[in-house]
Amino acid sequence: MPPLSKKVVSSERPLSLARYEARVGLLFILPWLLGFVLLKLIPLLTALGFSFTDFYMLEPERTRFVGLANYAYFLRDKMAGASLFGSIGYFLLTVPLELCVALALAAIFSSKRLRARLLLRTLVFMPSILSAIAIYFIWDGLTTPGSGWIDRLILRPLNLPSSGDSLYSFLLMNTLWSIGPGFLIMLGAMQGINPELYEAARVDGAGPLTRFFSITIPLISPAIFFTLVINLTGAFGGSVLLDRGVTFRQVFSPMESYINYTMFSLSRLGYASALTWVMFLVTMTITVILFQSARRWVYFPEETTHESF
Amino acid sequence: MKAIAKQPRRAAYHHVSTLTLRAWEFTGTALLNLFIFTLVAVYLSPLAYMLVTSLKSQQQMREYLSPILPAERVTFTYEGKTYSLYKVPTAEGIKHWALVNPNRTYSEFIDPQHPEAGLIRWEGSWRSLEGVYRFKLDWSNYAFLLEHIDYGRLLKNTLTIALISEVGVLLSSIAVAYGFSRFRLPGGKFLFFLLIATIMIPDSITLVPSFYIYTRVLKWGGTFLPLLAPHLFGNAIFIFLLRQNFKSIPRDLDEAAMLDGAGPLRILTTVIAPQAMPAIITIALLHFFYIWNELRFSSLYLSTRHDLWTMSFSGQAFQTYGFTPEKLQASAVVLLILPVLLLFLSQRFFMRDLVVTGLEK
Repeated sequence: MPPLSKKVVSSERPLSLARYEARVGLLFILPWLLGFVLLKLIPLLTALGFSFTDFYMLEPERTRFVGLANYAYFLRDKMAGASLFGSIGYFLLTVPLELCVALALAAIFSSKRLRARLLLRTLVFMPSILSAIAIYFIWDGLTTPGSGWIDRLILRPLNLPSSGDSLYSFLLMNTLWSIGPGFLIMLGAMQGINPELYEAARVDGAGPLTRFFSITIPLISPAIFFTLVINLTGAFGGSVLLDRGVTFRQVFSPMESYINYTMFSLSRLGYASALTWVMFLVTMTITVILFQSARRWVYFPEETTHESF
Repeated sequence: MKAIAKQPRRAAYHHVSTLTLRAWEFTGTALLNLFIFTLVAVYLSPLAYMLVTSLKSQQQMREYLSPILPAERVTFTYEGKTYSLYKVPTAEGIKHWALVNPNRTYSEFIDPQHPEAGLIRWEGSWRSLEGVYRFKLDWSNYAFLLEHIDYGRLLKNTLTIALISEVGVLLSSIAVAYGFSRFRLPGGKFLFFLLIATIMIPDSITLVPSFYIYTRVLKWGGTFLPLLAPHLFGNAIFIFLLRQNFKSIPRDLDEAAMLDGAGPLRILTTVIAPQAMPAIITIALLHFFYIWNELRFSSLYLSTRHDLWTMSFSGQAFQTYGFTPEKLQASAVVLLILPVLLLFLSQRFFMRDLVVTGLEK
């Protein structure tokens, strides 16, 4: 008897401590775990289930299993294809622009010779918190012939024809006014670089451009990667650092707008679910490609592991 | 090593006096600052446009090519009637005369300086003439909007959603970030990977089932509940940022508190949270801006209930009414964005701590 109880005590003690830690830890992450199951996993799987049926919102009781018919229809649906390519095109157009402008500004703003840096930084960040609807109205006013400043201050003095309201200029303005988070993250990373590295490179005869591309870029590559990730999720309607609220889905995310149309105007929840799964797979593919490529070009300091960026 | 290497470079400058060098440096700094300040001014000019336009009178907005700044027409009263002044080209240069009798091929003017001289006949089309303006701010747009929009109610609805969801999202995100940063969890790496993966899942993908469940099963359509409930489960990106921040707090502090007999919850509230306060405030602000601008869910669940509309959603509603620059648009935008801009500019945590967060990566 006594040896047995002794054994139990000696083996149980460290185990129960680890178990205690795991239990308390799980208790703390419980809200997110519940949310993950209730708000992400179950809806995703339900949508997958819906996508194999002809679920029609107005007559839920007449739902039938249709197999892959919705996906087959998607392959023939020209509107859906155009919307998907529109979304990918928007991503390819805006994300690199946003990244490059933010990177260039961060590089200039990290110069020690600039005055009132905190104020300027705040001002550059400021438009990123404005709502999409406000940006739309401001753009609408700016491009109005006769009273808009684009017309009065640029086009008219130069004798150029009035541009009208091209949606590309709206996209451009929206993209330029969204650089805030990426700009700040990369600026922070640049300010964390040890100045001795630049001094050493200068001594070795490296010019400003060489220094930027061989020191700054590799050292802030984790920040560039993080910026790319938040821009990517922003472009596909995921959670972003600063969501300004979507408007004009047909411009920003044609696919999302087409899903909404299928869902609310046609009430075809089955087909809408199939579309969301197509979009989910495309997003995940791009994400996986991005994360795989990160192994090649993102520089991780020794102790940080891949999954913690 | 470094000092030796520097030597020849210094020598190259020997023939240039330090004064010239300093002058060059000063010029460079001045040019850089000038460039950046101009850049920022151009970058923000649309905001200036909006502010300026919101103070223009409706009358001025209707006049094509009226001045860029808010202004009103200069008038002159002659024999009991009020006439507008125009810039009239005459043999003695351009005169500011009041148009009394407009005709197609000729018009009659009165000179405000010499009204006793009577009407002056001028050959030409008065429509080609430019009006005379003087600077004047017009606040009537705001008065009109505040009279016709229930701004207080919009503000109340938005703040209600913001404050309730703020408490939920902060409490849950802090707890979860603490769990991820301080405890060895079974399958912890996988769970964290899942957390990062959920950041990538677009909202619209879960839209179909959640819309069906919220409106048909739970009957939450037309209430704030679908807008509040998801925030009680934390926000993946906030959890990620807070976890990075908590990890940078030395564990010695926790251990000291643990030796004093503090449990995990005590450690969180007395050690971790106070240390991470700037990051927590930053996240609270991020969430507030998100709620203020949020449109996706409010347009799904609140569109039928006018009395529950939020700030941004009523803004979107203007858009469907064919809101044009001539129709109070600029003033409405100012009312929509001014509260967040003031909040953003009145605190100092946000800018500093998002930068620090960037450093943690």
